[in-house]
Amino acid sequence: MIVVFYIASGVAILSTFLVILQSNAVHALLYAILSLLSVAIVFFSLGAPLVAALEVIVYAGAIMVLFVFVVMVLNLGPGAEGQERVWLQPRTWTGPVILTLVLVGELIYIFLARPGLALGGPAIGPQEVSLALYGPYLLGVELASILLLAGLVGAYHLGREPSD
Amino acid sequence: MAEVPTQYGIILAAILFSLGVAGILLRRNIFFILLFVEVMLNAAGLAFVVAGARWGQADGQVMFIFVLATAAAEVAIGLGLLLRLHHQFKTLNVDEASDLRG
Amino acid sequence: MTSADILSLLPLLVVATTGVVVMLAAAFYRNHRLSLVLTLAGLLVAFISLPFVSPLTPRQVTPLVLVDGYALFYMGLIFAASFIVALLAYGYLEKWDGNPEELYVLLLLATLGAAVLVGSSHFASFFLGLETLSVALYAMIAYNRSLRRGIEAGIKYLVLAGVTAAFLLFGMALVYAETGTLAFSGVVAAAGGASLQLMVGLGMLIVGVGFKLGVVPFHMWTPDVYQGAPAPVTGLLASMSKGAVFALLLRYFTPVPALERQGLVWVFTAIAILSMLGGNILALTQDNVKRILAYSSIAHLGYLLVAFLASGPAGQLAVAFYLVAYFATTLSAFGVVTVLSTPDDEAESLQAYQGLYYRRPWLAIIFTIALLSLAGIPPTAGLVGKIFIAAAGVQASLWLLLIVLVLASVIGVFYYMRIVITMFRRPEVEAARPGMVGLPRAASVVLGVLSVILVGLGIYPVPVMRIIERTVARLV
Repeated sequence: MIVVFYIASGVAILSTFLVILQSNAVHALLYAILSLLSVAIVFFSLGAPLVAALEVIVYAGAIMVLFVFVVMVLNLGPGAEGQERVWLQPRTWTGPVILTLVLVGELIYIFLARPGLALGGPAIGPQEVSLALYGPYLLGVELASILLLAGLVGAYHLGREPSD
Repeated sequence: MAEVPTQYGIILAAILFSLGVAGILLRRNIFFILLFVEVMLNAAGLAFVVAGARWGQADGQVMFIFVLATAAAEVAIGLGLLLRLHHQFKTLNVDEASDLRG
Repeated sequence: MTSADILSLLPLLVVATTGVVVMLAAAFYRNHRLSLVLTLAGLLVAFISLPFVSPLTPRQVTPLVLVDGYALFYMGLIFAASFIVALLAYGYLEKWDGNPEELYVLLLLATLGAAVLVGSSHFASFFLGLETLSVALYAMIAYNRSLRRGIEAGIKYLVLAGVTAAFLLFGMALVYAETGTLAFSGVVAAAGGASLQLMVGLGMLIVGVGFKLGVVPFHMWTPDVYQGAPAPVTGLLASMSKGAVFALLLRYFTPVPALERQGLVWVFTAIAILSMLGGNILALTQDNVKRILAYSSIAHLGYLLVAFLASGPAGQLAVAFYLVAYFATTLSAFGVVTVLSTPDDEAESLQAYQGLYYRRPWLAIIFTIALLSLAGIPPTAGLVGKIFIAAAGVQASLWLLLIVLVLASVIGVFYYMRIVITMFRRPEVEAARPGMVGLPRAASVVLGVLSVILVGLGIYPVPVMRIIERTVARLV
């Protein structure tokens, strides 16, 4: 199972990295979805089957699909590729990349220095999560639904054609 | 399940998070910026699940579900704004779509 | 949850219900006035319920929410701010031919988010309250969707808030990995250990909070967002959004044990100094009123941070009083801007205010009082607030911060006075501005009341101080 974790992690990191480099919106989305799916496998290897399923169903299956819709509506496909290439000049990306590498290096050093527990033990399945949601996190669930309501009303309002 | 060291999980989340940050700094197209915000939120959610698994609690997964709801709401409004932006400015470039003084 | 638990959540339940009711009402029968009335009624009921809930406090309702005097005080402040913004928005939206009813729904949901935020005792409610507030704000900022800069401001705020949320979440996750608990009390207790990972987690939390408060160096897009958003929404952003986060910060970051505090104290000190000086200096170069007010609010958050660093009962009293004054001042200032604007043509540039005194004398006086309060000139609430902060600072021996505070305030006087002078300068040409036909009655009354409060608090702050002492300062 630990091998699964490493492989899935590697795929996730690689595909996320590739998202940065893509100039075609659809290709970028495909790599992003791949990254999300591998994170789902990581979740499964950590003993969290419920969120693994949710990651696939909601994140990859709904949120990314919204992005795909937008690509279709705005026609961000091959036509826009040329534009993106122009913007990705080396002198644009050297700075941020070096900065990011430094930060990641630091973070890795910090986190390795801390001896963590090995994850293991029984998987925390849907039943436990549900008990938590209906118990201590009850207000959180209600609040989350209000949050979604706000998103709904806002998106509805912004999506209407203005009267002019 | 065999043993996966917690720290590797956190490091994975940190790497994905940093990739998200790098992506936002590098791309000038709002569409991609929104995509990378989602990547960052996902990485943070991953960190929560790892932390929850480390302590054997369901709380990590519960937080992930809340993060999911938030990401969904943000994406809905974000993409709606994106469409409006394209309609008004005819471009998705963050530098060009800038009436307000930076 | 017991019935007492649910009763103690009454203010929150009322606001939530009102939000849904307004939405349903708009769905069946679109009427601007009806939405306003329902909104105001709901907020009034919520506000009135606060003293009734008070005997049940302090009460921990699920690990997520702690209802106590502190939370109730700030909820009251938030409800009042929301009430005022609703009234101001009514007159503003009447001059627009879009759908105004959604704004009230979003306003109520934002209020709910902020109210949960000040009552939260757990990372989950902190995050959810904050995000509800933010999501509602995204849509409110871009509300006039045919206005280019509104959309731009909305997108910028969304990206910023999204990144902020991610930082906050990652920080929370790191702290959770260290301490094994998401409840604030548990985190505070376990935060004694000096692990590097914990520091990184706390650092990321500070980054997230810093963005939300709009302090230097996290202030990048704040002026743009303030400029592009509709004036009443900007007023809400400047007051409620920042105030709620700050109230939470004060409650939970103060008792963190000494070891962490040393490092954190320097960080916050630096942020405070940079904000006080940066905000005021940058405002000097602006000639757009909304941007001036934006930079001014950055500076004021800096002043608040001084009181935060002072901590202890004096610090808490100073923060609470200053927030009341700050809310009143900000809403008053943006209220004036609102009244002079229409959704398609906002009264932004300094030019628009030239000779205001000769066109609308009362409005100019109201604005002047608000500006005097911002500058900290007697006899306004702003000055009393600054005195409280200074007193707290002296008690905690924060000499460097106090010097910067005085210095920054002096710099501030310049650009505030510039606006005042512009208003009183006789205009060369009588230019009629579109949309300024009549002043909405409700807004005028509100602005008048706010001004009275500002001067009243400046002369006689004792009643408010008593309330604060009974609710907020009991905390320590």
